[in-house]
Amino acid sequence: MLLQLKNIFKWVNSGGQRIFLLKDINLQVEEGEFISVMGPSGSGKSTLLNVIGMLDTFDEGEYHFLDESVHTLKEKHRSNLYKEYIGFVFQSYHLLDDLKVYENLEMPLLYKKFKGSERRAMVADMLDRFNIVGKKDLFPAQLSGGQQQLVGVARALIANPKLILADEPTGNLNSQQSEEIMQLFKRLNEEDGVTIIQVTHSEKNAAYGSRVINLLDGRMV
Amino acid sequence: MYTLFLKIATRYLFKNKLYSLINILGLSIGVASFVLIMLYVDHEKSYDTFEGSENVYRAYMDYQEGGKWVAGDANTYIVTGPTLKDEFPEIKDFLRFRYVNGVLLLRGNQVFEHTKGSLADPSYFKIFHSQLKQGDVTTALDEPYSIILTEALAQKVFGSEDPMGKSLKLMDSYGPIFTVTGILKEDHRNTHIKNDFLISFSTFRAWEVFEGDWERTWTQNVYYTYFSIDPNTNTALLQQKIKDFKIEALPYERHNIEPLEDIHLYSNKPYEAEANGSIQRVRFLFVIGVIIMVLSWLNYINLSTAKSLERAKETGVRKVAGAQKPQIVFQSLLESFLLNGIAILVAIGIVFIALPSFNTFIGKDLSLGISNIDQMLPIFGLVCLGSLVSGLYPAFVLSRYTPANTLKGKVNTSPVGLQVRKGLIVGQFFATIILLVGTLMVNKQILFLKDRPIGADLEQVVALHWQVLNLGSDSDSTLVQGIRAFKDELRNIPFVEKTATANTFPGGRYEDLGSSAGITFPNGTRDEKRITYNYSVSPTFFELMDFTFVAGGPFKETSRGYSNEIVMNERFVQYMGISEMDEAIGKTVRFWEQDWTIAGILKDYHHFGLKTGIEPIILRYAPSSNNILVKLDQKAMASGGMEQAMVQIEGTWKKIFPESTFNYTFLDQNFEAQYKDDKTFGTAFQIFTVLSILIASMGLFGLTSYTVVRRKKEIGVRKVNGATILQILALLNTDFVKWVGFAFAMAIPVSWYAMNQWLNGFAYKTSMSWWVFALSGFLALVIALATVSWQSFKAATQNPVESLRTE
Ligand SMILES: Nc1ncnc2c1ncn2[C@@H]1O[C@H](COP(=O)(O)OP(=O)(O)OP(=O)(O)O)[C@@H](O)[C@H]1O
Ligand SMILES: [Mg+2]
Repeated sequence: MLLQLKNIFKWVNSGGQRIFLLKDINLQVEEGEFISVMGPSGSGKSTLLNVIGMLDTFDEGEYHFLDESVHTLKEKHRSNLYKEYIGFVFQSYHLLDDLKVYENLEMPLLYKKFKGSERRAMVADMLDRFNIVGKKDLFPAQLSGGQQQLVGVARALIANPKLILADEPTGNLNSQQSEEIMQLFKRLNEEDGVTIIQVTHSEKNAAYGSRVINLLDGRMV
Repeated sequence: MYTLFLKIATRYLFKNKLYSLINILGLSIGVASFVLIMLYVDHEKSYDTFEGSENVYRAYMDYQEGGKWVAGDANTYIVTGPTLKDEFPEIKDFLRFRYVNGVLLLRGNQVFEHTKGSLADPSYFKIFHSQLKQGDVTTALDEPYSIILTEALAQKVFGSEDPMGKSLKLMDSYGPIFTVTGILKEDHRNTHIKNDFLISFSTFRAWEVFEGDWERTWTQNVYYTYFSIDPNTNTALLQQKIKDFKIEALPYERHNIEPLEDIHLYSNKPYEAEANGSIQRVRFLFVIGVIIMVLSWLNYINLSTAKSLERAKETGVRKVAGAQKPQIVFQSLLESFLLNGIAILVAIGIVFIALPSFNTFIGKDLSLGISNIDQMLPIFGLVCLGSLVSGLYPAFVLSRYTPANTLKGKVNTSPVGLQVRKGLIVGQFFATIILLVGTLMVNKQILFLKDRPIGADLEQVVALHWQVLNLGSDSDSTLVQGIRAFKDELRNIPFVEKTATANTFPGGRYEDLGSSAGITFPNGTRDEKRITYNYSVSPTFFELMDFTFVAGGPFKETSRGYSNEIVMNERFVQYMGISEMDEAIGKTVRFWEQDWTIAGILKDYHHFGLKTGIEPIILRYAPSSNNILVKLDQKAMASGGMEQAMVQIEGTWKKIFPESTFNYTFLDQNFEAQYKDDKTFGTAFQIFTVLSILIASMGLFGLTSYTVVRRKKEIGVRKVNGATILQILALLNTDFVKWVGFAFAMAIPVSWYAMNQWLNGFAYKTSMSWWVFALSGFLALVIALATVSWQSFKAATQNPVESLRTE
């Protein structure tokens, strides 16, 4: 078991009213799963993903990640945990405009205390695997959307995470580009055993996964 | 349409309160500092300017020293004026002043102390372009025993009465009576030579106190001489001719001239009419003023261009809606004027509020108002021009954005713009570090001077001075007897430890020293070229001052109270070419047509303060009626302390001389007073340094808030990818550290050079320690980091989810 959410509640207080963003979420994710989260806009998909990614807190419930109880951890431990095991992919790629492709890839490694030679090897490996060696000296603005997302996925993967969290990774891409990214996810999941949780609006994309979770008003249905 | 523009502009300023506040505060501090400094600079530069002042020159004496000519003396001879006028047709007229020292002004029995006056030629009115409020300029200074007063003095002495034709007595040993023949018109002029009253030069021959001086044509230089020169003269040529003009009686001196307008700031000779200003100080302050002003403009440019990024979208919308480039520029300029206008108004307010304390602080009487509007116009003109220029840059930056990009919210700062802003920050820190080095060095030097032993103990020593009004017929012996009685009385006061008499003392004025041109050494050689100084003291003086003798000892006390024994300093012995101090004892030197026997050699002490080196000096044994020095014993003093003690001493004096005046000076305070200007300068430096740091920090603060906004996404991405808070802080701050480092590297040579220049004005200089520079750099860095980190920290601790939420 990779992670387990038990009776997770998250809310915000607004004008004396408690608005629930997540309601009683129970979810168990095994290593090697490929899960798609679906639901209408505003149903809490991103919120759930952020909670799983430990970027956001929750108000009630338990969260176990590997052997750790996330809900009892201090902020610092939590960030060490996600630093080590989780990679993020975003709808709008969130590459750093001022860095070249290979620098964008190298960036997470800088925060994980890899040596210079190791970093170079890992970046080279990624460029190779994703077939973007020729683009390594370009800036993100010089790439197409699909290529940018490719770099985004490569960046999420570079430090060998156990879990990839992708929030609408293809939301800004055309169908052909989307397909490529989904194929990539599938391969990663099947060949490398990377656990993936993605948020998507498309049934077609959801079909790549092994399981679909539906959200409605913060509740799993 | 314009009202709409104005509406948008004001609304914008109100909406962005922090931005407006930082800008207005920065600009107004800058403008206020600039205006204050320029008022001061203008004041210093305005000395002795009046109609025709450019054609007035002052004569002074050059002395030959070691084969070279040096500016020796601001005083000239009584015949300097007439002689040069006869020789050189270019000289149209001359004017002599002779200070009337040590006299009191009396009206009936009423004494007016602290008045300063001179004998003056009738040409005074023409050459100094002065006017009389009452009286006739053609005759007022003609008749002997004529006196003219300043309006202020006339008011003080006569009140509402008409002073014309009234009598005044000047109290010396003779008490001549003068008739008021004129009242000078107050012209609020700054001048290096200040007089409360002027006496006709023709009085000179008749006045007993100057008896014999008339004949000392080339032997007594105690006169200030001014020339009015034909406007068509080649003054360089005339100056050369005057320098080449030989006076037979003065083989080792020559005349020289300098423009009247330059005296206050450029002349610093012995026997100046007053302690002059210093062009160096004026320049330093001027530069500081300009730096602060430029800093605040840079700030403004920096902030507004950074801010314009935020407004790019608005600009894009307006461009799409059909706004033309000129209109966008106009809008931006309007805002800039609005901001600058408010800032200038605030600045004027600050100046008005700060001016009184600024005046007390610099000891001047600067004003800002209608009266000096012509002085203020150029300053404010400059300020407005600067505002215009600083408003132009952001306006054009804004107008350059293309609507397509700005609408997408994609204004990637042009690399040029970024470079410019970096450059501005570097510039600000460059200036800040220079000012910091300056502040530290000025303080270091002042401390250095204060801590330096001067070779005498001035603590708890008071110099008493007085003026006796009614001594009766045999004035001299009455005075001597009285002083003796007073000294006896003093000895009975328990807290009086020691007493002595002296003409002057360490830190005393130049004009209280005697001087002699020409001295015969013990081996018979005679040096005519060098002026040497001496003063008279009583034998107890040495012990009271805690002087150290390296050979011989004090004078042997005589019943007459004087002898031909002298004591000199080591430097004098060296000057005479004697290497062993002991050898000089008992030897004879000759000056003032008299032989003097050397009784002792003093270890060198600082008579003139520490701005100049130690000069040869002689102490003579003679009675002096100028000062009684009293060393007080603090422990024996009653509970009333110093004040009480001085009251008691004054009471004792008044018992012996009921009709007299009584003043006193503390020697240590008097000695330190020579650094007053430097201290003021140091404090001014400090204040303006703090202000410019404040301005620079405000700019930095403003700028970081934009940097942080711009890098918000980047911060989020990096955090999600594992960056810690500390790493984010480092990321945001390294740039600033780099810039400060760069500024530091550039500031070192510049500040080193500038402070070296300043230190050159001192004979005793503190060292330019490396730590002064290091500390300045460090302080600048700390200030920069403190300013930046507050916002960096906020940004670094923010939850990345916030910044990464997809729009
Ligand atoms: N910090 C917050 N404060 C208040 N409400 C919030 C906050 N964060 C999210 N919400 C609300 O919670 C709900 C769920 O948001 P979330 O971003 O998870 O939706 P989503 O399912 O990802 O939608 P979309 O498909 O549009 O991305 C929304 O209604 C949103 O407005
Ligand atoms: Mg979402």
